[in-house]
Amino acid sequence: MMFVLRMAVRETRASWRRLLFFFLCIAVGVAAIVTLRSVIQSVRGVFGREARSLIAADVLLSTNIEWTPEARQTIDRRLSEFGANERTESIETPTMSRPADGRPVARMVELRAVQREFPLYGTIGLQDGRAYSYALLQQHGVLVRPELLTALAVKVGDEIKIGQSLFTIRGVITTEAGRRVGGFSLGPRVLIDYDDLASTGLLGVGSRARRVLLVRVPDDSIEPLVRALRRDFREQFVSARSYRSNDDEVGRDFDRAENYLSLVGLVIVILGGIAISSVTRVFIAQKIRSIAVLKCVGARSNQIMVVYVLQVLALGLAGSLFGVLLARATLAAIPIAFGASTSILAEADYGLSWSAAAQGVTIGMLVSLLFSLVPLMQVRNVKPSLLLRDESTANRRDWTKLAVMVGVSLGLVGVAAWQAASLRVGLAVCLGFAGLAFVLQLAGRMLIVLIAPLTKSPSFPLRHAVLHLSRPGNQTRMILFAVGLGAFFVVGVRSLQASLLQEFSVQVSEDAPDMFLLDIQRGQADGVRAFLADGTHGASHVRLMPVLRARVTGVSGRETNLETFDDVRARGSLAREYTITYRDHLEPNERITVGAFWSGASTEPEVSVEQGIHERFKIDVGDIMRFDILGRIINARVSSVREVDWRDARSGGFMFVFRPGSLDEAPQTFIAPLKGPNDPAARAKFQHDLVEQFPNVSVIDFHEILETVRDIMSKVTLAVTVVGALVLFSGALILIGAVAMTKFQRVYEAAVLKTLGANTRTIAKMLLFEYGVLGSLAGVVGSLGAIGLTWGVSRYALEIPWRIFAGEHIGGVVLTAALVAVIGVVSSLDVLKNKPLATLRAE
Amino acid sequence: MIELREVSKTVMSGTEPLTILHPLSIQIARGRFLAVVGPSGSGKSTLLGLIAGLDAPTSGSVLIDEVDITRLDEDRLAKLRGEKIGFVFQFFHLIPSLTALENVSVPMEIIGLRDARQRAEALLEEVGLTGRAHHYPSQLSGGEQQRVALARALANRPPIVLADEPTGNLDTTNGRHIMELLRKIHEQRGTTIVLVTHDVELASLADSRIVLRDGRVVERVDRDVTAARAGAER
Repeated sequence: MMFVLRMAVRETRASWRRLLFFFLCIAVGVAAIVTLRSVIQSVRGVFGREARSLIAADVLLSTNIEWTPEARQTIDRRLSEFGANERTESIETPTMSRPADGRPVARMVELRAVQREFPLYGTIGLQDGRAYSYALLQQHGVLVRPELLTALAVKVGDEIKIGQSLFTIRGVITTEAGRRVGGFSLGPRVLIDYDDLASTGLLGVGSRARRVLLVRVPDDSIEPLVRALRRDFREQFVSARSYRSNDDEVGRDFDRAENYLSLVGLVIVILGGIAISSVTRVFIAQKIRSIAVLKCVGARSNQIMVVYVLQVLALGLAGSLFGVLLARATLAAIPIAFGASTSILAEADYGLSWSAAAQGVTIGMLVSLLFSLVPLMQVRNVKPSLLLRDESTANRRDWTKLAVMVGVSLGLVGVAAWQAASLRVGLAVCLGFAGLAFVLQLAGRMLIVLIAPLTKSPSFPLRHAVLHLSRPGNQTRMILFAVGLGAFFVVGVRSLQASLLQEFSVQVSEDAPDMFLLDIQRGQADGVRAFLADGTHGASHVRLMPVLRARVTGVSGRETNLETFDDVRARGSLAREYTITYRDHLEPNERITVGAFWSGASTEPEVSVEQGIHERFKIDVGDIMRFDILGRIINARVSSVREVDWRDARSGGFMFVFRPGSLDEAPQTFIAPLKGPNDPAARAKFQHDLVEQFPNVSVIDFHEILETVRDIMSKVTLAVTVVGALVLFSGALILIGAVAMTKFQRVYEAAVLKTLGANTRTIAKMLLFEYGVLGSLAGVVGSLGAIGLTWGVSRYALEIPWRIFAGEHIGGVVLTAALVAVIGVVSSLDVLKNKPLATLRAE
Repeated sequence: MIELREVSKTVMSGTEPLTILHPLSIQIARGRFLAVVGPSGSGKSTLLGLIAGLDAPTSGSVLIDEVDITRLDEDRLAKLRGEKIGFVFQFFHLIPSLTALENVSVPMEIIGLRDARQRAEALLEEVGLTGRAHHYPSQLSGGEQQRVALARALANRPPIVLADEPTGNLDTTNGRHIMELLRKIHEQRGTTIVLVTHDVELASLADSRIVLRDGRVVERVDRDVTAARAGAER
């Protein structure tokens, strides 16, 4: 054992420069894994840990109408049945607020009127460090978010007007329990006393107030209570949810992000592994004589194997630890990247997660071992007799090596499954990997056959380049394999990245509306249009859409027949109240899938239904739907099915769109999405002037929210790009590894050719041809494989539409070819420069 | 005692079989100094490889101290070489990543000798390289490298030393120095030495010699004959 240990130390001492590359591959892969895991765990923690205080309760019941006595009775019964020990009520409504002194500014706020017991979980943090107390709200007190102070130019102690009532600002909210996560808020939060709400007059008819009942129950009663309440209120507009369902929704997005990042981490590790495999192969090839000597002086194959395995493990460990350090540095840089961002992502504590570090180090060691084991098997085949005469090692069928290869493959499946947290994904990744390896091997063989006629080319460099590709012991298949896989992963990840980013950008494009006007009365429509058309107000991208509230009360069709409203109710969400519109054109985010969209108006009621309604409720073209529109019954024929791209919110989305004609005279209001002025002062004036002229119109300002989302998106984009660059870097590492692998042979050949009269230019041209052909083919195969990869991952792992980015694929081929040619020639520079005699002597 | 019984070696040259060594039988008694002489390609090195178990014969058997080494697997062969055979090559074949001292220590470390380092130092002193112990092979001259190789060959006090053209890569002075060392080892330790060379003058230093040509023994010269002739000339 001492011999083995001593030899391992001596070998590492002697070859550390060559093994630096090995070390680097592992460090990069491990750093990627640890960083990605830590980030996702930190961000997830922000949401997960706070889940309860995010809704400020265990169970939350809400409704948009006033609690009926029957509903209260049911709730009381259920709560005592499940041992609810605390409850409190609150009412939330969006409304406009203004300073009491009559200055021309106004701001939409999210008003929340709370009782003494609020919040049941979490706290309300105040800017001056005081503890929150209910007393601050009593007697017309109000707590506001700092944004409102800025927007209205008021300070603590000033009065603001909400509805018809005046409130004194008693403090500034910094953190707040019960904030909705992920959803948009309509404006800054404002807290008042529940008892003062009546005085504002905001609870009148048509109010959009949401009544909320917050409940604290013992842990094991949470889900049963929610289930029971959902059963009780199945037919009424009351929803019940627990803090866990909130967590689940957010959780799905995180799962998606984590799946993507895990796969990318895995890809980087596999790329590193391939590079390691190349390096180990070169390393052993250079050590063959030393191994023969060791065998000659009495060392057994296994002893020598252990020497190198120990070295690999030591390097794997050192590389992994260095990777963890790199990850730590990267994580430390994240808050700097966020700067003064107020997004929830910036609130996460981006520390190094020890579980991620342990996982990274383990994977680093495993990958080092697995990827180097097969090349190390070569040690067994080295015969000491080669010290007496040069001879190639025999290529017998080596069952032990075969068994090791099977074991290594199983090990890799295990690592992949562990990393992706799914055996299915792990298996799929490894099978895809094996499939691609097979295709690349096949492509290598085909290439050799296809270019054979070029050996008769009159050009010496071309002829020799082709001969190099097809001679015995050529590098064709090895480079194709390594570079092809590299191109495959790099192009694949970059395409996925482009796809993801496009997915995001659809949602937050620059011309997206950032303001919504609600409740425009029919008589005000023309006036509002004129106001918005007035260039001095600075609004653009304005459209007025008529909206009506409607309920489906019956369907008679081929597959679905619902006689009464009770039948409709039995179909779940079909019975809810829908906002509908009518128009004579399709929006840019709509597409007809069945039937045809009308042109022009008709008094005959016609409706176009959304794809989801068509699929879920089996409502088809030709069916008749009965709608109750504010008491008026309309029987409309379904004339088309529309697919709506819900991610593109610019044009809005409606489940039911009617043909103009039949609804023109029905009671309706208008909504108007628009892009407001960019300057904050102009925005404030715009809102004030509009509300002054049309007091009942509500303005919802999305500007800040969009800015925050854009801010987060740009951070995410940066992160995804950095990850993509890391993959690219690993790809380059592989290439260098592969080129290094065959370099020693080329140095010797070039020396011989020089001795025979070939000049440097000829040899350079020869190398350029050789690597150019290899690079192009590797790029083409990798790029084609990447199309398959993006399809599979988009569809099954990320659940986003599959897109092809031709630029990425073409660029991938061109860049791979160029990169291989350049790296091939550059790394052979010493071949070109060296005096041939030195090389020949060294051999 | 080394014994070769009807040993032959045939390899495939392309699709044609090529016989490198025709069946031959030799007995080398313990403590003998045998020179194997012949022109390039006559099968000398192959014969040496067969004796060391570096290569397997096509037919026949090789016995070392009455053990048929053709029946041993690779690991047993390695063990046998480590304990009983020292090797000196024309191209030295030192491990480039190890110092002179470490190169000499390796065979002793493999069998787990505790005082490997001290012994290695003593061996280097014996071949006159005390000052060069911590040099790497690339920092040594050819003659020095071959002396390190010789020290390494003696590391485990093997009863047999096989030398394949040990002076072929050296100048006359250094070549002579190595030969003197070999003789000294033979005389002082009673080590069996098999020396492969194409240099007849060097071969004359041996007790006896065989001459190979095209894989066949064409001449055997006995020690007594050599001694008698040497005596007559004197």
